[in-house]
Amino acid sequence: MPVPGAVRDSVLSERSVRFTKEQIAAYAQASGDHNPIHLDDDFARSVGLPGLIAHGMLQMGLMGVVAAEAAGGPDKLTRLYCRFAGMVLPGDTVTFTAEPAGPGKLELRAVNQKGEAVLTKSSADFNQ
Amino acid sequence: MSASGEPRNAAGAAGRTYPPVTFRIEAERAAEFARAIGADPAAGVPPTFAAVYSLGVTAPQLFGDTLAAVDFARLLHAEQEFTWSRHPRPGETVTSQARVASDIRRRGVRFVNFETETKDEAGAVVCRSRALFVIRS
Repeated sequence: MPVPGAVRDSVLSERSVRFTKEQIAAYAQASGDHNPIHLDDDFARSVGLPGLIAHGMLQMGLMGVVAAEAAGGPDKLTRLYCRFAGMVLPGDTVTFTAEPAGPGKLELRAVNQKGEAVLTKSSADFNQ
Repeated sequence: MSASGEPRNAAGAAGRTYPPVTFRIEAERAAEFARAIGADPAAGVPPTFAAVYSLGVTAPQLFGDTLAAVDFARLLHAEQEFTWSRHPRPGETVTSQARVASDIRRRGVRFVNFETETKDEAGAVVCRSRALFVIRS
């Protein structure tokens, strides 16, 4: 299991993000996804969540920035795949990493401060 | 919102297609999105802006389709894949068309694969999106 904060030799690109309500609200505004589970703690709890959660697509966006960096630029990305495995709450810190997985291929990971994977089986392809 | 295809039961929306939707990629909107995900706004339209110009314009068609009967309140976006032949540029208008590629129920859980194809003004496909929505009973 990867240790949070440890950088493996093969990591091409990495970013750690501490999620905040403000950032999640900014993504809601920028993406047009105003689902109240991302904006309103009371609403989120009323549908069984611990509180408001980050959009899966915000996590994918952040993962995509790391993948683009590892690929040598966003224009080079030809495919991005994410499986949303865990919730991300304000206050969580998620470390996004991209490692090589063959020519033109990246293996992507996103792990929170407890060592739990919030994205699994995620990958990207790029033009070399 | 109208959709083509025969009316189906709640677990059988496979094959439903939706009318094309156009979206103009505005430079300031793309830059705001870039800032929201920590991308460099000067690096052009971020790849995952496809969440807006592709999935973002077609998913509401599925959620608003009473015959597909996708319960938005019980839905999880479980997987997402984008493939691109190229990334669109600010000022371009793209057109997206979606369909329900598969709709399978297993052990009381409904798995809907929702695919969207996005074309540029010349009719070339620039992006394909596949969203897996998991709807619990």
